[in-house]
Amino acid sequence: MIEIKNLYKSFGNDEVLKDISLTIDSGQVLGIIGPSGSGKSTLLRCINNLEIPTKGTIHINGELAYQDENGKPFNETEISLTRSRVGMVFQHFNLFPHMTVLENVCAGPRYVLKLDETAYRDDAITILESVGLAEKRDQYPEQLSGGQQQRVGIARALAMKPDVILFDEVTSALDPELVGEVLGVLRDLADKGMTMIVVTHEMGFVRQVADRVIFMDEGRIVEENNPAEFFDSPRNERTKSFLSSVLSHTD
Amino acid sequence: MSFFHLLHPDVALQALPTILTGLLLTLGICLVCGILSLSLGMLVALGRQSNSKILRLSLGAYIQVFRSTPLMLQLIYIYFALPFAGIRLPPLPAGILGLTLHYTAYLCEVYRGAIESVPKGQRDAARALGMRNRIVMARVVLPQAIRTIIPALCNYMVQLLKDTSLLSVVTIQEMMFRGQIFAAQTYDYFTVYTIVFLIYFAVGFPGIKLVDFLEKKMKKGYASRSVILTPKKIETVKGVNA
Repeated sequence: MIEIKNLYKSFGNDEVLKDISLTIDSGQVLGIIGPSGSGKSTLLRCINNLEIPTKGTIHINGELAYQDENGKPFNETEISLTRSRVGMVFQHFNLFPHMTVLENVCAGPRYVLKLDETAYRDDAITILESVGLAEKRDQYPEQLSGGQQQRVGIARALAMKPDVILFDEVTSALDPELVGEVLGVLRDLADKGMTMIVVTHEMGFVRQVADRVIFMDEGRIVEENNPAEFFDSPRNERTKSFLSSVLSHTD
Repeated sequence: MSFFHLLHPDVALQALPTILTGLLLTLGICLVCGILSLSLGMLVALGRQSNSKILRLSLGAYIQVFRSTPLMLQLIYIYFALPFAGIRLPPLPAGILGLTLHYTAYLCEVYRGAIESVPKGQRDAARALGMRNRIVMARVVLPQAIRTIIPALCNYMVQLLKDTSLLSVVTIQEMMFRGQIFAAQTYDYFTVYTIVFLIYFAVGFPGIKLVDFLEKKMKKGYASRSVILTPKKIETVKGVNA
């Protein structure tokens, strides 16, 4: 359902994505791992056009997203519409601090879909219940723990009923004891068949939940495989050294 | 002769009606210029983010000119120099125009700074939900930006109140000018200026206290807020309150 072809992205002279091609099928969980600066986050941000690729195409649900065949960008309305189908959860939560938890979750249906309040409120509360935060609905983000804030971040993305959700290192800013509650929510989503692209350093999670793993280094996809083979018998030298250094820390 | 012997109650009483009439004009001008510059400042701040280079540059030039020159000179220039270019304004419109242009230039910089101080992640999150740029600005960026600058805006309003006294140079009979005239007639400068002094203080001091209060309030965070305008809250319905 998402097809990325020959994607390049440069910031000035710095080429951070080099010839990325990959497909994600509906219902799949794709784990993206790699050292910092390898372009993982930039790749995610290209998928919802928060970064505009230098070259290459992205198809979502079979349709060219963000620009036409000649590379001419679509207009704001079309880009916003595509974005509204692609959820994103951020490393630093990026909740709206001036809105309550419930208002954060309702922000998409309210300001993007412009639905009537009755149409989204119950739904939003149900979603908050599914991440275990219904009782916090009238609090402000600043009153919540990091783990709770990140669960609200996930609920906010879910409220748009997206076709796919991009997770950008969603546990990296959390205290270690709060990581589990957020990964639990991700696991539930994967079980329910949500299409997910997960950039993370949580190797255990990728191994258990992902359908496929991509290892990125210096802007390229170095290795791609199913989790079992990827972790047990990595083929590329760079992957091996990365995995051995990461796993020796975490396991 | 002590300090207070210089104050003459009878002169003060005679001066009060004319000075209070001046105060009304002072407050009126302050209100008009305040509303105009608060709203125009926002428009200019948004205009400076526009895609049009010409608009950005000309607004930038305007701001630099009005921030780098004295307000009194700007007032004099609008009233006395513009007529030579064929633009002849009566004193009151000239004064209001001068004050508004001056304060718009400052306030727009305050707005711009506040807009830029909202973390980039907030825009990212809003755009990732599919919000269009205008909605991102109206629902996410501005509510956060304006909150932080409410004390600064109030501070500028108090300063505006004091700066209306400069309008005497273009013969507007606000409180300061009325005081000057009355003092010149009675030669009792001490009494008259003391009255004017006290009235400015009586109006300005609560404003300054308000600024202090708002600053403390802002530091407390969103959970304790009550002073800012927010879009209608999403009601939690009793039936769903399990």
